[in-house]
Amino acid sequence: MSCFTKELVSELASKLLIGLSEEENKMVLDEFEEIERNMDKINAIADIASVEAMTHPFPLEDIILRNDDDVEELAQEDVLKNASHKNLTTIIVPKVVKE
Amino acid sequence: MYIPTIGIEMHCEMKSFSKVFSKARNTYSEEANIHVAVNDIALPGILPTLNKEVLRKSIMVASILNCEIPEYFFFDRKNYYYPDLPKGYQITQTHSPVGVNGHITIPYQDEELDVLIHDIHLEEDTAQLEHIKDSTYINYNRAGVPLLELVTGPCFHTKDEVVAFIEYIRRVYQYADISDADVTKGQIRCDVNISLSDSDNLGTRVEVKNVNSISNVVAVIDYEIKRQLDLLESGRGEKIEQESRRWDEESCTTKRMRSKEDAIDYRYFVEPNIPKIKIDPQYVLEIKKSIPVLPLERLRTYLNDYGLTRVDANTLLKEKAISDYFNQCVTLGIEPKIAMNWITVTIMGFLNKEGKNISNISLLPEDLKYVIDKIKDGSISSKQAKEAVLASLEQNKKPQEFMKEENTQISDEAKLTEIIESILEKNTSQVEAYHSGKTNLFQFFVGQVMKETKGLANPVKTREILEKKLQS
Amino acid sequence: MKSEILKIKERIQNGELTVQDLFQNTMKSVLENQEKCNSFVTILDPLETSSGNLQNIPYALKDNISTKGILTTGSSNTLKNYIPVYDATVYQKLKEVGAVCIGKTVMDEFGLGATGTTGHTGVVKNPWDESLQAGGSSAGSAACVAAGVVPFAIGTDTGDSIRKPAAYCGIVGYKPTYGMISRYGVYPFASSLDHVGVLTRSVYDAALVVDVIKGKDEKDMTSFDSSSIKLVDALNNQKKEPKKLFYFKELVHIDSYENPSEELKQTLKQFEELKEKASELGILICEESLSRELLEAIPSVYTCISCAEATSNLSNLTGIIFGPQEESSDVFEMIKEHRTKGFSPLIKRRLVIGSYVLQKENQEKYFLNAQRVRNLIVQKMNAFFEQYDALILPCSEREAKSLNPKESVTTSDTMVLENHMAIGNFGGFPSITIPNGFVNGLPIGVNLTAKVKDDENLLQIAARLEEMLGLCGQVAGGKK
Repeated sequence: MSCFTKELVSELASKLLIGLSEEENKMVLDEFEEIERNMDKINAIADIASVEAMTHPFPLEDIILRNDDDVEELAQEDVLKNASHKNLTTIIVPKVVKE
Repeated sequence: MYIPTIGIEMHCEMKSFSKVFSKARNTYSEEANIHVAVNDIALPGILPTLNKEVLRKSIMVASILNCEIPEYFFFDRKNYYYPDLPKGYQITQTHSPVGVNGHITIPYQDEELDVLIHDIHLEEDTAQLEHIKDSTYINYNRAGVPLLELVTGPCFHTKDEVVAFIEYIRRVYQYADISDADVTKGQIRCDVNISLSDSDNLGTRVEVKNVNSISNVVAVIDYEIKRQLDLLESGRGEKIEQESRRWDEESCTTKRMRSKEDAIDYRYFVEPNIPKIKIDPQYVLEIKKSIPVLPLERLRTYLNDYGLTRVDANTLLKEKAISDYFNQCVTLGIEPKIAMNWITVTIMGFLNKEGKNISNISLLPEDLKYVIDKIKDGSISSKQAKEAVLASLEQNKKPQEFMKEENTQISDEAKLTEIIESILEKNTSQVEAYHSGKTNLFQFFVGQVMKETKGLANPVKTREILEKKLQS
Repeated sequence: MKSEILKIKERIQNGELTVQDLFQNTMKSVLENQEKCNSFVTILDPLETSSGNLQNIPYALKDNISTKGILTTGSSNTLKNYIPVYDATVYQKLKEVGAVCIGKTVMDEFGLGATGTTGHTGVVKNPWDESLQAGGSSAGSAACVAAGVVPFAIGTDTGDSIRKPAAYCGIVGYKPTYGMISRYGVYPFASSLDHVGVLTRSVYDAALVVDVIKGKDEKDMTSFDSSSIKLVDALNNQKKEPKKLFYFKELVHIDSYENPSEELKQTLKQFEELKEKASELGILICEESLSRELLEAIPSVYTCISCAEATSNLSNLTGIIFGPQEESSDVFEMIKEHRTKGFSPLIKRRLVIGSYVLQKENQEKYFLNAQRVRNLIVQKMNAFFEQYDALILPCSEREAKSLNPKESVTTSDTMVLENHMAIGNFGGFPSITIPNGFVNGLPIGVNLTAKVKDDENLLQIAARLEEMLGLCGQVAGGKK
């Protein structure tokens, strides 16, 4: 029996600020089943826990860090350019109520 | 008996020319959204570039806190949604902070206190939200400003210890040029963790988030200890819940934000866009060497070697520039207590009054040395010296100028002889009386010389010459 | 001649072709192709350039590459009106060498898809047969190059998003070593797997274009200095030494499959033929084995890592700073509305999965174990690369699939054969697809993957196989 439920999927989506239709929810559930089967295979690999988790494709040697005085700023109008709710200097959203 | 145990997380905005991962300026501005780069508004396709100077400074702080510094430097993403977080994640360090398992000794009252450091990590600040009526206005100038988050162990038991720690770390940041650590500009914010226990085991921990001033830290600790004590001693069997709370300034109470169960899952993972950077131990060593002498070490020297009082020592230590100035004075050979007096009374008095900085005055330690030497050899009086120093400070010129131009003592023998001869000529009857035995008239002649020179005649020389002239 | 780009340059130099005529012809075929395949989100007027190695050479750019002042949608409704205020490094570099961008190409929304059917402006059709998928996510880029509209297009590749559509459209698709081409300004899907690359009709053109767009970029910390890698030089000075390639028998033996389709049989047969012909050229292709458990883990490892990174990478899409801000009195409802309306069902699914595998209680089992298996696979590959020049495998089980979803189901049997090219992304390995004949009259491809920074060697081998196969420069429908 699967531990995935419609409610779990809805809650997950909701935390991502995404709403799902019934159909979309069902599709996620189906895909979870598939992944779960495959993940069991991964977890069955011997000594998997002792392998280092790979976060980057390969290590890099010649990493250049940015100089502190390397500055490039946007014009204020470009900062606001693609925002749909704004005044002359700031972007505006409905009031953010503190937790 | 319940004993409170407190740990704090201290966030501090760092000083740098540009932001930590973006090319916008790290500077405060009244005008919104003018120090913003593509990263700070999370335009699609942006990538972080790590600021070298910020990395250097964070390693310096880790060294100051005697932390273990990792072999590789890398970052994590902390994922959550909030309108002040443009990317929907904050770049921070959870897996491999710049420093872990450290400790620092701080001055505490008349003693010293050891504080355990859990870790210190580097992260980016969020945008600033301003709430007016039904809207929130977003200013991205602050988004991406480098933040250092210092996490202590649960090692404090009183609010005084916590305050001493915060104050000392602020001072360390200022001395090492990490941050202005200006509380009034909101550059310091703290999370305070408090638990109460009557046994060796720690009690249930309550976290009060985002406390933005030292006075509020004190208020939070007082309030939480009382609140938790009431719960524990109510006899109603009430339990303290592990939760996050916030300080409410209006009611002067802490209010629940969320329980442990509701804690946000930040879904941390290693930031793929910043490769793992190998930290050369030689580089760390160089940074360590460049750490200035810190306030505690200076305090020990002032108290033990120079014999200053704690109050005077602390006055000198308030600012690194002043402490440096004092140290230079001592190196030049000025007696520490004398240097301390000049600096804390005359110089700092002036600086405080004018709101000026010691680095902007013309009166250098060697000038102060010159003035003090002149008092010693009797060339000038203390009063003259003080006037010359004050004039030097006010007009931003060298004190020597005021000692020559108007106020300088007349020590030149020929000049004094000339003045004395003319006085003797004008007062022939007194000269005769003196010769006939009224030797107490000597003081009269001295007085005349002083009157003539407006008090500037070198008193020692005046007496010498007068004695010679009256004998002949 | 094996280079379309050099051919155009030569014709202009000889006076056989004027730049105006070139642009006019190009625009004519752009419009035809748009009508037929729907390759473009935006079509741009070509503007003559004055100098550079690719002076006046028309090309197409995938619509997830930031172009200042030019609409860049990522083929998503969330960015349907977004006009960037900055240029991606790869676009900047192409401008510097005088190349002329004639359009921004349709893709699967933000690169999360392999079909070319999820873009907000509609599905991309295969120029060989309009009832078929072009493959994705670089669907429009593949379709317009295959149709002969432009000699090259820029694409991106997170799992096989350049190499798979290239195979389905019968062209060359090449993603160089991770970090060789800057990702600055490229909309992210999964940052640790994302590569920029090129789609062309010859290996030579792929080398020519990558030579000018690669390079360490101070704006991308994961880029590296590749100035010692000179791809065109490597092709021009090819010594045709003996080479040793390997393949995984688990994927290529027909008896690994329970009920192989005719298409699969044909695909594998063609691979077998290539193997034999190659050995005559001194390119030896040997059989190796990667454990079945690792091979079968590839699709899930890919899903876990790519979805996890995507869920974070796409968190900036809230409608606040860019994109349409929805109406609501609650800011979080407003963001939710934007994302619910803006994302296609496929993306939503991926994001939910990505978020699930990252959750505290799941991370160890899913995300971290996926990263660990990624490491194991890469370690194995690096061990193989000590003995071999490259891995060679068919790009997929068959030719392009039908646009009708009912006819395009992948059986679990061929799951690995369909997804193995993600190995190239796991290790950041250079990887190239070239056409390898036809199944049912439609093109299929063969894929070569080499060790990190061994791009010269990889392209040399690819060029020799390309020459042997004689499909260089093929245009959709032109040669079957």
